[in-house]
Amino acid sequence: MKKMFQVGLTLALICAVGATLLAFVNGLTAPKIAEYENSVLVQALKEVSGEFIPGEKVLETGDNQISAYYRLVDTNGNLVGYILQLVSNGYGGGLSLTVSYDVSGTVLNAKLLTNSETPGLGKKAEAAGYMDKFIGKGGTENIPLKKDQLDKADADSVGGATVTFTGISKAISHGSQFVHGLGGK
Amino acid sequence: MASRHIKELTKGLFKENPTFIIMLGLCPTLSVTTQVVNALGMGAGVLFVLVFSNIFISLLKDAIPNSVRIPCYVVIIAAFTSMVEMVMHAYVPSLYKALGVYLPLIVVNCIILGRAEAFANKNSVLDSALDGIGMSVGFTMSLTLISLIREVLGSGTITLFAMGSFDGVIEIPVLNKYPVRIMTLAAGAMLLMGYLKAFFNWKTSRKRG
Repeated sequence: MKKMFQVGLTLALICAVGATLLAFVNGLTAPKIAEYENSVLVQALKEVSGEFIPGEKVLETGDNQISAYYRLVDTNGNLVGYILQLVSNGYGGGLSLTVSYDVSGTVLNAKLLTNSETPGLGKKAEAAGYMDKFIGKGGTENIPLKKDQLDKADADSVGGATVTFTGISKAISHGSQFVHGLGGK
Repeated sequence: MASRHIKELTKGLFKENPTFIIMLGLCPTLSVTTQVVNALGMGAGVLFVLVFSNIFISLLKDAIPNSVRIPCYVVIIAAFTSMVEMVMHAYVPSLYKALGVYLPLIVVNCIILGRAEAFANKNSVLDSALDGIGMSVGFTMSLTLISLIREVLGSGTITLFAMGSFDGVIEIPVLNKYPVRIMTLAAGAMLLMGYLKAFFNWKTSRKRG
């Protein structure tokens, strides 16, 4: 009985020391990490919003594929569109996107954020120009959901990474419908 | 006496290389070796965790009751891994992103638990630290070799750390344009691992005669 107590105590002691050390390191690094995460987000917002200004973050979207959205206003304060933060699945697991739409649901700009796609294949979706095939679609023109809806050059650019493309296009199309549903409010 | 310590340090490099001879920690080996920079980063993470966990396990080897030694090792290893993870996230976020899930998985990297169980709990603090350094340097060398071959053939680039005006990417002519894509995929990693293992086996068998 005494031995059992001793064993438990040793293990608890080691855990306590480990936890204390971790709390200390966390205290040192947490502000730095938060700063970095925020800078990534601000950078992405700036890139997709163009000349417009993103407003307050709205977390309540009632949709599990949309983690948050921002209203996008022009310099006179008129609503011109929305920026959506979308989550989807690619070949390497979850991925997140920041996409800006005008009030009619037409894609203005898009950017792929966190992802674990294969370098050289799906990872190419991070490159500049990949999202061009979605820009201007979603309003009068449909968003391409399959490879055969793309022209040849675009279809080649997604070759070998169809799963990534499908994940991204479904999310962007879903976002467009969500913006329709908001109805310019 | 000194030569014995040196032997503990150097055995991990070739004679008992963790990747090619002991064949431990293959999961992260195969998955993070798509770029040279990832291999170096993973190596640095393993170096830190392995050296400190070996030192602490060696220090505590008399205090840790035999019946709960594995949980104790895991707690110690997990604590150091979490530290590496937080520090990397804060100061080298690009590397943190690249290593992804394999960084926290250092906890269950069998090299670390293996060395704790096979070496650190039986040997002095100095020897354990030397063993940790040798093993992780050996691990880093193997990882760098694999990633160098995979990246050069598979993407036609060599990605290192960006410094000043150098963006960290060396492009190799021809291969950059027509890469052997399979090398960046899991199948290519397996294939290369098999060839390298065969090559090292051939080397050793030739040496023995």
